[in-house]
Amino acid sequence: MKFLKRNIGRIVPTALASVILFAWFARPPFSWTFGLLMLVGTFGALVTDARYAARRIFSLIPVLLIVSFVVFSLMSSLPGDPALTILGAGATAESIAELNQELGFDQPFFNRYGNWMGDVIVGDLGTSRILREDVADGISRSITPTLQLMAYSLILAVLIAVPAGMYSGYRNGTRQDRVISYTMLGFLAIPNFVLALVLVLFLAVGGITIFGIDIGFRWLPAARYVPIGAGWSDHLRHMLLPSFSLAMGQAAVFMRLLRSDMIGTLRLPFIDLARSKGLKTSEILFRHALRPSSFTLITVMGLSVGALIGGALITEYVFTLPGVGSYIFTGIFKRDFVAVQGAVLVISTLFVVVLTFSDLVYLALDPRLKHQSKAA
Amino acid sequence: MMKLKIRRRTRESDETIRTDNSLGLMFWAAVSFLTVLVFCAIFADVLPFKNPNQTFKGFNKNGPSGSFLLGNDGVGRDILSRVIYGAQTSLVIAVVGTSIALIIGGSIGLAAGYYRGKVDRLLTVMLNTTLIIPPLILFISLILFLDPEAERRMFILIFTFALLSIAPIGRVVRANTMTWSEREFVLAAQTIGARNGRVMFREILPNVAPSLISYSLIVMATLIIVEGAVAFLGLSVPSPTPTWGDMINKGRPHLDVAPHITLMPALSMFITVLSLNFIGDKLKKNLSRKPRFCDA
Repeated sequence: MKFLKRNIGRIVPTALASVILFAWFARPPFSWTFGLLMLVGTFGALVTDARYAARRIFSLIPVLLIVSFVVFSLMSSLPGDPALTILGAGATAESIAELNQELGFDQPFFNRYGNWMGDVIVGDLGTSRILREDVADGISRSITPTLQLMAYSLILAVLIAVPAGMYSGYRNGTRQDRVISYTMLGFLAIPNFVLALVLVLFLAVGGITIFGIDIGFRWLPAARYVPIGAGWSDHLRHMLLPSFSLAMGQAAVFMRLLRSDMIGTLRLPFIDLARSKGLKTSEILFRHALRPSSFTLITVMGLSVGALIGGALITEYVFTLPGVGSYIFTGIFKRDFVAVQGAVLVISTLFVVVLTFSDLVYLALDPRLKHQSKAA
Repeated sequence: MMKLKIRRRTRESDETIRTDNSLGLMFWAAVSFLTVLVFCAIFADVLPFKNPNQTFKGFNKNGPSGSFLLGNDGVGRDILSRVIYGAQTSLVIAVVGTSIALIIGGSIGLAAGYYRGKVDRLLTVMLNTTLIIPPLILFISLILFLDPEAERRMFILIFTFALLSIAPIGRVVRANTMTWSEREFVLAAQTIGARNGRVMFREILPNVAPSLISYSLIVMATLIIVEGAVAFLGLSVPSPTPTWGDMINKGRPHLDVAPHITLMPALSMFITVLSLNFIGDKLKKNLSRKPRFCDA
């Protein structure tokens, strides 16, 4: 409470920035997604440096403006006449011109950008003529499987990478370390769509037969999306293969980072001190060594969300999940600029917010940085 | 008497591991695999491979056999020769893309690390914009934007991949240049009156080169994966030309009856990428550790 009173001048702008960003997507699934992220951001502001957090959140606004501009100019310069796509091949020149006028495509570039941004700020991403629905509705419908997929993958990746990285960092140079490191190097080399297909082959469709011996199982479903509403266990069973195939590449990256940082940390004198105090090895590793070793990991985890989004696009394609990746993909192919613009903007916003959040977590984990930023 | 091995994870044991500079069997296995692959890909027309687009009637979805070493695909084409011709596509895109990115990104990074200031800021802006939009979506939009009808897809792929590899390569070079340009020999060269260009290319570049080479191998591996992903989605070089990603995608419907159609190109892509990563890793460790003559 005392903290709240003392920092009121910092917390108010932070909250204000959160509200502005929140209002951007003040519609059902966005509002809770972004509301949650912003709450987390405010929390980050409270546990770290409120002024720094506020500055970071405010600096998102120009970044997002640049992103929206890049996305808009890229999409509006995509070849193909949207009016022709909507009307079909038999359209006359007049009807095309008429529809172009109605859609506003006859206006100059900056006018169109201004109009679009004006709508976006109040949370209206436009209407897709080709899918015949509101873009915000379409994205909020399709973002749920994607967010689930990304969340499960990130959790799985951390659950695999942290123990593996810590163990092989601790056992640096031994045979166990080499086995783990080479396995992970292997996973780094498997593209996620290949891993997905191999997993489907061995765990879903029955595997291969070599010299009359069957290798493989039919344990898990190969494709199809089941929402949480249809039952948790069924949902998780269907999400297991997609999440796992997306997670392993990230797990490999995380594990290698954690391993090398762990080796560095375990050489520091405070570990010798902890050991000489008679602490158990597990206690030294988890309580003392993990935190200073995880700084790079946190930053890279934030960055890996970008890779996860790209990977999610392909994973959704393999497992026929109706996610935002397939939404963008069909949008690009059908020249549905409005839909793609909206979806890419939402995803990039999500990504930027996650990046900021990971920076704040970094600051909370490493208080030394706080003093550096104050001194500067 | 049994030899007693004492293994302690202390500073000393790390040092003994660190001084082990041998490249190891795996390294040479990776190098020889890549050599064979590159050789086959370059001389594919001369070597006795079957025509990659010829369909053999009655051999549909056949497993590996004596005359078709890796089996046949869904319409009866020879997978081995398609893998080799697919390697041409992947390797050309990866090697040329990386080389262009290396030249441009390397010079930008060198200039940014040496001069700091404006060039530095330009690089940071470029890096940040390419980082913010998810890469695969950027790839797909750029490819479709620049080449909607797939008329010069190969050229566009190389161009796009090079464009988006400039920033990461530039960043690595910049970071390395910044540390090297603070060394005494750089100051010495400047004091004698060497021009900036000479200092950059004759003094700093040779020192940055080892880490640059190992990093560019990893970029190459990444480009092979990305090309595979783009081809998997059907956006790489159009159909009659074999690509690994496209072969994997075409094998998908037959996964339960003829998994080798998917597995063979997948395996070749996996081994290629693994070899590149492995060589890059080993080179990075070995090259960066060699004590230099002037360091003593």
